[in-house]
Formats: sequence, C-alpha cells, structure tokens
Amino acid sequence: MKEQEATIVAPAPRPLLSRTTREMLANYAYLLPAAICLGGTVLFPILKTINMSLYHNVLFRPQDYRFIGLGNYARMVQDQTFWLTLRNSFAWVLWSVSFQFVCGLAAALLLNASFKGRVILRTINLLPWIVPGVVVGLVWEYLYQPNYGPINDLLRRAALMREPAAWLSEINFAMPAVIITNIWRGIPFFTIMILAGLQAIPIEVYEAATVDGASITQRFWHVTLPILRPIIVVATATRIIWTFNYADLIFVMTNGGPADATQITSTYTLLVAYATLDFGYAAALSVILLVIMLVFTALYLKFTKGVESVAG
Amino acid sequence: MKDRGRFSRRQFVRTLAASGAIAASSLVGQKVPFLSPRKASAASTVLFQYNSPDAPRIPLVQSFVDEFNKSQSEYEVKIDWVPQAQSRQKILASIVAGNPPDVTMVWDQNLPEFEGMGALEDLTSQVKGWKHYAATNPIAWQTVTVKGKIVSFCLGYTNDGVFIRTDRVKEYGLKMPNFDWTWDDFLTLAKGFTRPEKNQYGFGMRGAGQWAFTYATEVMYGNGAQVLKDGKVVINSKEAIEAFEWYIDLLRKHKVTPPSAPTDAYRQIVMGFGRGVTSMVTHSSGSIEEQKNSVGEANFTTLPWPIGPAKKRASFYQCETLTMFKAAKNKEGAWKFMTFMMEDEPHFQYCAKTGMLPTREALLKRPPFTGQWYSGFIKSIPFTIVSPYLSYVGWGSILEAVGAPLIQAAMVGKITPKECLDRWAENLTRNMT
Amino acid sequence: MSTHRSGDLFERFLGGPVLWVGLLGITLFAMGPFLWVVSASLKTRAELYATPITYIPTYPTFANYVETWTSTLTPFSRFFANSLWVSSVTTVATIVISTSAGYALARFRFIGKNTLMLVFLATQMFPSVLLIAPLLSQWYALGLIDTYQALIYSNLSFTVPFAVWMLVGYFESIPHELEESAMIDGSSRFGALIRIIVPLAAPGIAATTIFAFVSSWSELLFATTFTSQTEMRTLSAGLLYMAGQYEVQWGTLSAGVMISTIPVAVLFAFLQKHLIQGLTAGAMKG
Repeated sequence: MKEQEATIVAPAPRPLLSRTTREMLANYAYLLPAAICLGGTVLFPILKTINMSLYHNVLFRPQDYRFIGLGNYARMVQDQTFWLTLRNSFAWVLWSVSFQFVCGLAAALLLNASFKGRVILRTINLLPWIVPGVVVGLVWEYLYQPNYGPINDLLRRAALMREPAAWLSEINFAMPAVIITNIWRGIPFFTIMILAGLQAIPIEVYEAATVDGASITQRFWHVTLPILRPIIVVATATRIIWTFNYADLIFVMTNGGPADATQITSTYTLLVAYATLDFGYAAALSVILLVIMLVFTALYLKFTKGVESVAG
Repeated sequence: MKDRGRFSRRQFVRTLAASGAIAASSLVGQKVPFLSPRKASAASTVLFQYNSPDAPRIPLVQSFVDEFNKSQSEYEVKIDWVPQAQSRQKILASIVAGNPPDVTMVWDQNLPEFEGMGALEDLTSQVKGWKHYAATNPIAWQTVTVKGKIVSFCLGYTNDGVFIRTDRVKEYGLKMPNFDWTWDDFLTLAKGFTRPEKNQYGFGMRGAGQWAFTYATEVMYGNGAQVLKDGKVVINSKEAIEAFEWYIDLLRKHKVTPPSAPTDAYRQIVMGFGRGVTSMVTHSSGSIEEQKNSVGEANFTTLPWPIGPAKKRASFYQCETLTMFKAAKNKEGAWKFMTFMMEDEPHFQYCAKTGMLPTREALLKRPPFTGQWYSGFIKSIPFTIVSPYLSYVGWGSILEAVGAPLIQAAMVGKITPKECLDRWAENLTRNMT
Repeated sequence: MSTHRSGDLFERFLGGPVLWVGLLGITLFAMGPFLWVVSASLKTRAELYATPITYIPTYPTFANYVETWTSTLTPFSRFFANSLWVSSVTTVATIVISTSAGYALARFRFIGKNTLMLVFLATQMFPSVLLIAPLLSQWYALGLIDTYQALIYSNLSFTVPFAVWMLVGYFESIPHELEESAMIDGSSRFGALIRIIVPLAAPGIAATTIFAFVSSWSELLFATTFTSQTEMRTLSAGLLYMAGQYEVQWGTLSAGVMISTIPVAVLFAFLQKHLIQGLTAGAMKG
C-alpha cells in the first residue's frame, strides 16, 4: 500500500546505496567489533607464525636463520614423537570431553530441578572452573602424590591398596590420571551451558508433551534433547578445540612424562618452542594443529548438521 | 512473555550496575593511576627481573633493593617478580619483543642460549676493573663466561651433594659413612633406610626435569665415564653404561627409591626428603635452609657423592647469576645495582639465606658455611667441574626436552640403559654447535 | 525436565533416589579437592608436613589467610582489585561485542556463514603461549605494558570467539517470528533485538557472562607476562608467587585459592538467583 501512495506523490530521491546494500552493510556492522577485537590481538600473530613456520629459526643460532619452505613440515612427518603426541591428543580429547559432557549433562538435568539449596549446590558445582589451570594442576599433583598425598592415603586406610601406586609416574596410569583432573575441571562448563539452555525451554512445551502422555524418558529424548542440540553442538565443539590446545594441566602435573606418555601435541609444541628454542619448528607444529582442528570442526559441523536449530 | 522480559532486564541492569559500582569502589584509594598508558621508563628506573620469588627470598631481595634505593638518589630499582616456571618464557619473549629487563637473576645454564641470541652485554672489561675481581674464586668467573666473554656476576654458586638423615642412621643402627664412602657403602645405607611399610625409602632419585640426566651423569663419572673426550661424545661408553645400570637398578632392582621417581622433579625430591619419605637425596646446597626447617637442623648432614669403582667422582657447578641485557635501557643503573649486590654484606647475606656458596674466600669462612650441612658441598669442590653439558649451546635445551623422557623410559623399563645412552649420545652429537 | 507442577515434583522425587545419589556423587566429586584445600589453608606449617596425614586440622589457624591478605610483598587485596576490574571490564565488553556478532550470525544470511564461524573459532586453535612474543612486542610498542588495557584486550582475544559461538547457539533456539512480528509493528531490528530477543536469551547471556568472567579471572599467562609491577598483578598471577622453586607454600597457597574462589562463587550465586531462577519464577503459573 505504501508503494501505491508513493507513486501518487513525487518519487523520493534515489539513495546512494540500494536498500539491500545498506542492509548488508548494517548486518556486517554487527560483526565489526568482534572482528576488530580479534584482528588486533590474534589474527596478525597467527599470520606471522604461519610465515615463521617456513623458516629455520632457532633462537640461539640467529646466523642460521634462513628460508626452508616446507622443511619443518617434512621433519614433522619423520618425527616419531609428533605422531605419538597426536595419538595422545586424540585420547586426551576423546575421554576428557565425553565424560565432561555426560557428567555435565547429568549435573545440569539434576540441578534444573527446584529443591532447597539448589543455589548452593549449583555454586559448588561451578567451583572447579574458577581456579586457574596451573593451580588445579598443583593441587591435583599433590592429591596424586604416592607418598604423602590424600588419595593414596585414603585408599590405604580403606585397605584398598597395599603398595602406593605412583599415579603420575607409571606409564599406564599417568594419562588416565590427568584426564580425570581435566574432567573434574571441565564439567562446570557443560553444566552451566546446558543449564542455561534448559531454562530457556518454555514449560508449555513440556506440558503439551505430558498431556500427550509422554513419559520422562520420552520427554527427554524427543523434547529436551532436540531443543538443546544447537547448544550441545556448540559446547562440545568449543570444548574439543579448547581441550586439544590445553597444555597447562599436563605441563604442571607431568610435563609430558613419564617418557612422553602424557605428551600431547600442544605441550610438545611448548617444549619445542621454549626448551629447544626452535621457533620455526614450533610454528610449523602450531600450523598443523590449526589445520587439524579446522578440518575437524568443519566435518563436525557437517556431521551434526551444524547449529541450525530444529525450532527454525 | 513480556512480563518475563521486563523482570529479567531490570534485574540484569541492576546487577550490572552493582558490579560496576563494586569494581569502581575497590579502586578508590589505589595510588597508582591505572587508566592511561604508562609513560616510558624514566632514565633513573632500573628494571630487575627476579625469577625465584619464593617466600623466604622475596623479603630478602626486597630489603637489598630498598637499601640500594635509599643509599643513592640517581637510580631506582623496581623488581618484577616472575614465578620460576614462567620466567624463561617471559625473558625469551621480551628479548624477541625488544624490551628485556635491565638486569635479571638467571641460572648459569641459561646463559649460553641468551648469548647465542646476542642478548647479553659483554661485561669483561668492566668486571676486570672491578675492585673485588681478584679476590673472587676463579670458578665463579668460569661459570659466567660464555665464548670467552664474562657476561654476568656470579651471585652464588653451588654443586651437588648427598643429604643424609643422621637421626635415621642412629635409629636404624646403621654405619655413618665418611667423606670417602663408596658406591657399595651408598647401596648398603640406602637398603638400611628402606622400609616400604613405613613409606620410607633410601634415596630420592630424580627422573624429571633438566637435572635428572645431570645427576645420573655425575654418578657415571664415578666409573670413569665422561661426556666429551677429545671432542667426541662418549657418554655411551662401556663404563658409562655399567654405571648407568647401577644407578637405574637402585629403582628397578633394589627398590630403594620411591616408586614415583620417574616423574619426581625438584620439588618432589626436596619435599620427599623434607617429609621423611626419603632418607637420602641429591641436591645442591640451595635447599639447606628449607631442610633445616622441615627436618630439623640437628637431623641431617651432607656428604659428597660416593667414590665410584674407578676411584673417581664428580660434581657439577651451578650458580645464580646477575646478568645484564644488551638491549637494557639503563645500563649504568644496572651496573651500579649489580656491584652493590656483590659487596660483602649483601653478597654474604644473600648466600647465607639461599644456601649458595659465596664467591670470595673470606666470606666462606663465616658461619653458617662452617656448619655440617655445608660440609658435603665444600668437600666436593676439589673434584667439582663446570657442567660438561654447558659445552655446546644446543645441549642445554635438550637436557629437558630429550634427556628427561629418555631417562624416564629407562627408569620404567621401556628401553634398556644401553639404548638410552646410545640415543642420548646420538642427540648430543647432533646438537653440537 | 522442569518440575513446576506438583504432580511432576512427586513423580520425580519418588523415582528420585537414583537421581539424588547422582547429584550427591557429582557434587562430592566437584567439592572433594576443595575440602582438601580448605583443610590445608587452616593448617600450620608443621601440621602440613606431619605424617600421618590429618584431614581435620588439629590446630586450626587463620594465620595463612591473614598473611596472604596483608603481606606487603604479595598484596592480595591489591591483586583482588585488579582481578575484579580486569574481569569485569572484559566481561561487559565481551557480552556487548559477542551479542552483536552472535545475533548477526544467527539471524542474517551471510555468504559463507559457516566459514565465518570457523574463522572465529580458528583463532582459538592456536597455543596461546606462542602468541606471547608477538603480543608482547605489540603492547610494548603501544606503551601498554603494566596497564589494565593490555590485559583486557588480551583476554578479549579468547573470550570473544567462544562467546560468539555460544550465543549463536542460544539465539538459534529462539524463533525468528518474534522479531519479525515486532518489526512489522514498526520497531527497528536493533530495537527488537534489545527489547525482545535479549531478555529471552537471558539465560544464555548469563551463561556467557559467567564463562567470560571466570575465564578472565583464572587467566594467568598474560597477567604474568604483560605486567612487571607487583601492584598490577592479578589474583591468579599472585597465587603463583607461592609455588616456589623448591617448595610450594601449601598453607598460604590454599588460603590464596580460597580467597580468589569464594568471591566469584558468591557473585555466581547472586547472579543465578536473579537471572536464571528469576526467569523461571516469573514464568510460573499460579
């Protein structure tokens, strides 16, 4: 109707940019602050590092600095430790995130109920996340200490253990031990995210389902989970990325040992960078890490049908 | 739905406002202006990065700095306390970024790589003109000389010895060894100390970090092995392998070490001794003060490494240094501060409190250095050498990156001692620059 | 599994033992190490080293807390103020920036939207320790060493990408029709965003706020590297002063951990009471 009126009156002057272009610009404007943020802090260093990976750059041998193209990458293919760290990283991420997710989901469902003391319990469940990773590593390292740590002490008192098990020093126990610590630390992330998602589900939806005769399990599976799906996908994807890169815990607790049993690719990169000062190789390792995670995330999004919501 | 919206929004804004108010109020009364970018350091500021901010050391170093600042008005030293675990990263990053501190306290094993990066100031001529130059033990200069250049002051030096619980020796009726004890005496004593049911072990072996391989190497020297001979790496010689096997067997065969040995680093072995889990441990004199507190002054003493089958033994020097960077903005101030720290009283106090040995004879003759706890280290001096792992720049870094995993693998039985040493020798040879 | 009808409530509590055991189990797991930390924070040095291990301190003391808070050389009161300021500003900035970006990515049709989202996340696929050197030279060149800005901007580099992703997820679960009907009624898109979508996405925004605040609070690599003066250090960086080269001061470290954890917990308790629970309460019928 407005257009018809416009033809009766004299036509408005043509704006410089068409309406669709203006809209598009306005849309991009929403992204601008985030883009500036990241551009100024992360993007340039990443680009610089990608560049650095093409050079032989050992800090204390500046006279050897030279362009070697894909030389660092060729070295990586031959590097047995690198492949070992990849396998370790895979185990590290798989076990940590799965359990974090399952426990976090359970915790969120439980904490979603209303009961007395809900606030306190929720707060307690958030605590592991508040402590800096390095300190978490120190505390758990102490807990695992075979000779004067509480875990072994309690196990001994409960007569479940005779000889002290050196959790962080035995090849078969070290990785599970650090994974447990990582699980402990990461559960609150999922708890909070899923809890927030659950809160946004309108009760009407549940009521409708109950009226239709759905049981608890059916409600969960057919109502709760689908609505939560975008959040679950986002939470697990971000968590996987974050865990893959997470070096603090392992660094403090085992430093990649014993004998590289807990060496993951990100701690290996740190070691190469700061112990051997081979920044060229470390840069190449980071680039590979980046590529792996990009590929994984792209596939993961495709597989889980991305963040498109069911509600539409 | 509209109700819901309004309810939460108001509360949200209120919460935001409240947090903002709390945050702002916490800054009232803070004297440092915080919002504007810092002005560039004035010419009189000297930035001193101290990389071991332990509880006992912070007041000690702070008192020296305060004294220095009070004693003159030209320069003001500001301390940047950096936890030891982050210190090397921070220095490296700041060198690369072009803004290192003016002066820093670093350990000598880091000097070759900083020098390799061209980051250190050559102090040779200045030091030679310094008044205490001649009175300083030549060893002290040796540890801070890289490629013929003196690049730091030695704040205090030490070597490795063995701590022993004398009260446990009495308690278990064992024979207290003397300074010339042998490997067999060592093993006998360790076995005598080991009571797994009481959670007590004979010897705190170190499996993690840079020093794991260094201690093992010191032991290997007791059998006549060496790291370098005629410019070639010989750490995998027959003598070395035999010695290494004896050492590893302490854990694997005789079980006189705690089972956590493969991943035990500094803190774990020092605390293990402090808590009575181990009755002997190898460390430098740096932990003497702490053990006095944990174990009790009267309950321990120190001995040099036992004599090996080849009638030899060795210990390696380490020292804490005061080092100046080439890109320092205030070199004069840094020099003034460094020489102040090396004067008799500050130098002596620093060493006495940290357990390092002072670099001048006269100071070494004063207590506490005359006490029994220092005897092992002082008696080791005749056969203490500069660490062979400092011979090449590339070696320092692989001690931790490659050496520790290798020795751990040998300790847990993943590879044989021979394999371990062969691979170690291979790595050393590859990194000779 | 909301339980806002009494029928549901009974049903769940009856079938409850399994759930309650689970709740107890998870809470104990989360709390266990903290019980140890609290116990350690109340022990004297002698007792910390005693064998056998005591779980309830025989001579409890608050000395560790007093020492930690008042020590002039590790001024926790100052660290606390710094942490609070840096984390608060980071959080507010993160929410503003990522709500805007998250909404755009959730609603608008961008060419290669998935690629854009990947780029956001790609910035996190990089070990932050390698970023230290370039960032350090950048802040140094801008004269921002020992300022709050350096810490805030650096924190934004890791809070914003995750926050954007999280908010995209939450925004996606709100139907499009809502703002479309508002716009037909004459409101601008931006107005619709503020007045309708944001309140609905409040739980998600609250979760993102908590995430940004907690991440920022526990960050310590940047805090140690980009500052050189003790008075500019944050709580997390301050905690490390007690992890010495030879000995970890467990008494004061534990006290420090409690000091740095409790306020965030209190803030969280306060926040969730008013944001999450408040919403549910407002939506209850009768």
